[in-house]
Amino acid sequence: MNFEAVIGLEIHVQMKTKSKMFSSSPNAFSKSPNTEVTVFDMAYPGTMPVVNKQAVINAIRVANALHMEIDHTICFDRKNYFYSDLPKGFQITQQFRPIGKNGYLEILDRDNKKKRINIERIHMEEDTCKQLHFADYSLLDYNRAGTPLVEIVSRPEIRNGTEAMRYVEGIRNIVVYSLTSDGKMEEGSLRCDVNVSLRPYGVKEFGTKVEIKNINSLKNIEQALDYEIARQSAMLLSGTPVQQETRRFDEASGKTILMRVKTDAVDYKYFPEPNITPIALSDEFVQNAIDTCPELYESKKARYVASGLSDTDADIILSDINMASYFESALKSAKKEKTLANYLIVEVNGYLNKRGISILDFPLEPEKLGELTNLQEDGFTHKQCVDILNYLLEEPTLSVEEARKAKGIEKMVQDDNLVLSLVTEALNENPQSIADFKGGNGRAIGFLIGQVMKKAKGKVNPADVSRVMNEEIKKR
Amino acid sequence: MKEINLDVLHDAAHRLLFDMSDEEYQTLLEEFGILTKQMELIGKIEGLENYPPMTFPFPCEVDYLREDVATEPLSREEALSNAGSVLDGEIKIPKVVG
Amino acid sequence: MAILDKTILEIHEALVKGETTPLELTKEALRRAKEDTNNAFEFINEEEALKEAAALTEVEVDNPLWGIPYICKDNFSTKGIPSTASSNVLNGYKPLFDATVVEKLREKHCIMIGKSTLDELAMGGTGTTGHLGKTFNPYDPSHKRMMGGSSCGSAAGVAAGIAPFALGSDTGDSVRKPAAFGGLVGFKPSWGRISRYGLFPFAPSLDHVAYFTRSVEDAAIILEALSGRDLHDSTSSTRKVEEYYKDLNPSLKGKRIAVLKDIVNSISNEKVMHVFNASLEAMKKEGAIIDYVEFGQEALESIYATYIVISCAEATSNDANLDGIKFGPYYEGKTYQEVMYNARTKGFSELIKRRFVIGSFALMRENQDVLFLRAQRNRAKIVERTNEILKNHDAIYVPAAPNVAPLFEGSSDKLSDEYLIADNHMALGNFAGLPSITVPLGFVDGMPIGANLMNGAFKEGEILSLSLALENLSGLKGLSINERKGGRFE
Repeated sequence: MNFEAVIGLEIHVQMKTKSKMFSSSPNAFSKSPNTEVTVFDMAYPGTMPVVNKQAVINAIRVANALHMEIDHTICFDRKNYFYSDLPKGFQITQQFRPIGKNGYLEILDRDNKKKRINIERIHMEEDTCKQLHFADYSLLDYNRAGTPLVEIVSRPEIRNGTEAMRYVEGIRNIVVYSLTSDGKMEEGSLRCDVNVSLRPYGVKEFGTKVEIKNINSLKNIEQALDYEIARQSAMLLSGTPVQQETRRFDEASGKTILMRVKTDAVDYKYFPEPNITPIALSDEFVQNAIDTCPELYESKKARYVASGLSDTDADIILSDINMASYFESALKSAKKEKTLANYLIVEVNGYLNKRGISILDFPLEPEKLGELTNLQEDGFTHKQCVDILNYLLEEPTLSVEEARKAKGIEKMVQDDNLVLSLVTEALNENPQSIADFKGGNGRAIGFLIGQVMKKAKGKVNPADVSRVMNEEIKKR
Repeated sequence: MKEINLDVLHDAAHRLLFDMSDEEYQTLLEEFGILTKQMELIGKIEGLENYPPMTFPFPCEVDYLREDVATEPLSREEALSNAGSVLDGEIKIPKVVG
Repeated sequence: MAILDKTILEIHEALVKGETTPLELTKEALRRAKEDTNNAFEFINEEEALKEAAALTEVEVDNPLWGIPYICKDNFSTKGIPSTASSNVLNGYKPLFDATVVEKLREKHCIMIGKSTLDELAMGGTGTTGHLGKTFNPYDPSHKRMMGGSSCGSAAGVAAGIAPFALGSDTGDSVRKPAAFGGLVGFKPSWGRISRYGLFPFAPSLDHVAYFTRSVEDAAIILEALSGRDLHDSTSSTRKVEEYYKDLNPSLKGKRIAVLKDIVNSISNEKVMHVFNASLEAMKKEGAIIDYVEFGQEALESIYATYIVISCAEATSNDANLDGIKFGPYYEGKTYQEVMYNARTKGFSELIKRRFVIGSFALMRENQDVLFLRAQRNRAKIVERTNEILKNHDAIYVPAAPNVAPLFEGSSDKLSDEYLIADNHMALGNFAGLPSITVPLGFVDGMPIGANLMNGAFKEGEILSLSLALENLSGLKGLSINERKGGRFE
């Protein structure tokens, strides 16, 4: 028997606002514990929540990008439970009136066909404090307490690991490009809880749900789900019922591992937050939040592709928002997008990877890279340009022109007659090489081209030489 | 509604992370008897279902949102000054499992 | 020094004339506080009060609060000064910030001489449940009668002449009831009029900052000082703060006063009713129109259960932060749950725990409909009825309590079937968030009694004017145990 997987995702996204969701303490992700804390974050008696405007703007932008209905009245509720990381003994969230509902995200399914994943809700809430666990005690750092979050809850319409991965990727692109969040799964600024159950094809009822927590990369979402689906499927086939439980993904083994069996569902005793009166958003406020949203991934990608980049190249550049931002700055001086993209993807990325640094630490200003790529458009060879680039990376204060002159690199001459005469000369001087070529030694032609380039002192384009050489040698 | 007996009250108290004396559970059970009776009477008030549950005493929608500006946080010493169990600039508690 | 028994305005006059100084006043207030036998204080703020008072040398003629000593209920956050809300769960807690009202009074150069006792976490009405035990009514030196709560210490302090005003909080009638038992003016303005930032929450949707004074004029002055939008309290109102004192206009001519028939009919103490009726006659003579209005017995009888369900539900959530981890006494345990469990088991009194269980029960998924939501619906219905009456009347006027301050003996904080609507009606003002003021009406068997006036949201100015008119009729301005006078309604 074959089973259909039913997968729903809850994604928590930490917003990178300047202050926290309900208090004005800095939201700067400091590594030094308990240094970004005010009395509210530690639940001191008498403190009260005051809603962060930017957090609302961010939530509106994400909701809009997900085609959601946006509630123009902001209301908050309390979710009551005791846990060591929850300072107030309740979390302020939006249970009854989420800021957005009934949206969708379009993804590509496993066969690269478009598929719409419906999204139930997006709401704002606050993060808990961070716990550090040691052998026999735990430490509490309240820096994270109160960090603004949006939670995005999908409908259970995802069917396999690949779709789940692409869904999360799509969400990540939206939150990153709307400048809502860093969206870094590995650092916890985008966290993903997955619910998965299996049911025989054609059956409407859901099977028993297993929750997988703390998956920390896109790749792991796919792997964890593929493993979990196989695990549950094997159980069902052997007649073993699936337990309602919480599991985690173990990266080393590629398996999901049992954390705890779920007993009765927790009762969070939700009720409206009495310390925040309903906040009415004007139509202008909502529209302005949407209109001023930074350009999103999909729009940038469409623009890049329209300007001549391949789909893949556009994705590579957009995979890092800072790379995309560098690209767009460089475009101000670059004549051709495609050429610039090639330099970014090959040369610049190569440089960064070799040193393990980010584009933010790349020594060359984007405008200079743009100018450099223009040399190639003007007739310098790729190799010449790379030489200049490498020199510039050592001497980043030089202008492109200064670097070129310092390296004594001159533009190729576009003169077919000159090329022809030099080719003829070289052929005449090296009959043995012609014989070798005719005898099947392909490398002989390389030697001949080299002779021509030597004679031309690098001023002719090797591509031209190669073309003419191939034509002429056949005539011998 | 959940049926109320001593076990249920014990469970409810424990979920709130405290315990009470046996005598108090008994008192509480009696109080619940009175309260549920009164709440049942309220349930019989004509037309009550037509009223939406009221959280705020009067309509008080606002349009204020706090500007996203960070202010000076507490010093670590201040923040932890009232905590009874501190280690290396953090609050120390028994190891949290699960 | 009898000057401390005067009203704020009278003391201000003396300060302006140079007849006394803030330091002299503060020393006297501290002396009286230290000699207090009514268990009114959690903490006497001697050192700081003296320092602040000594620094006040240039009298501010236009600031009637300059140099005036006051008492602060211990459920307000006071920076560096212990704030326990009379609960062991907060023993040793020293807040890192001042409540907005405390800050405002500091800016006015009021001198906080101490923190006063309350029913633990303000959840009670008897003034008996705080961790320091019973607070006594100064009018009964035999210590048999209660002050009433939860703002028992603040009421006792002002009634005993220790300070001319005191901060309290009012969730059901926690200022207005003890005011009646202590011969004081007790005022709770509209919800949102005064910032609650720094007030330890009991039930935020019902909580109000409120206060005790010895005169209506003083109540107007304090309101002006405390009111206003506070960016730390999202629920604080943006409405303009009026000139409540300057605008006082004590005329009863043509004012329509609604007396709740069901409540007065339920009062069996004839002496209380005699005084109340005499006040009605006096008001009529001044041109007031008295209407007896039926509120609805069923609705009045439902107030207490509705109040208990809503307030306990909110309280169980608000006080979930009290776990001994961030502040308050820390207790060892094998797990973090045990640590919290120990702190909460040892920190809360049994009454509080029972209330928390009730509140948490009301919020449980399977109970919400018949408990919490039902109570919230009933609140809406009661509020609608209240506002309906106020649409045609300038005020609702009733005795604040059916009797004088009760004896401790025979009183209980347990929920009971014996239900007195005349004992619980003032929660109407919390349900609807309306201005509600208790003023002294006279004495019965040597103990003070009071009446309550309530009107529409944000009509503080009007209710203060009516109250002043009533005070002028009663002649009971400036009462304290040292300044007893007979009322004109007796």
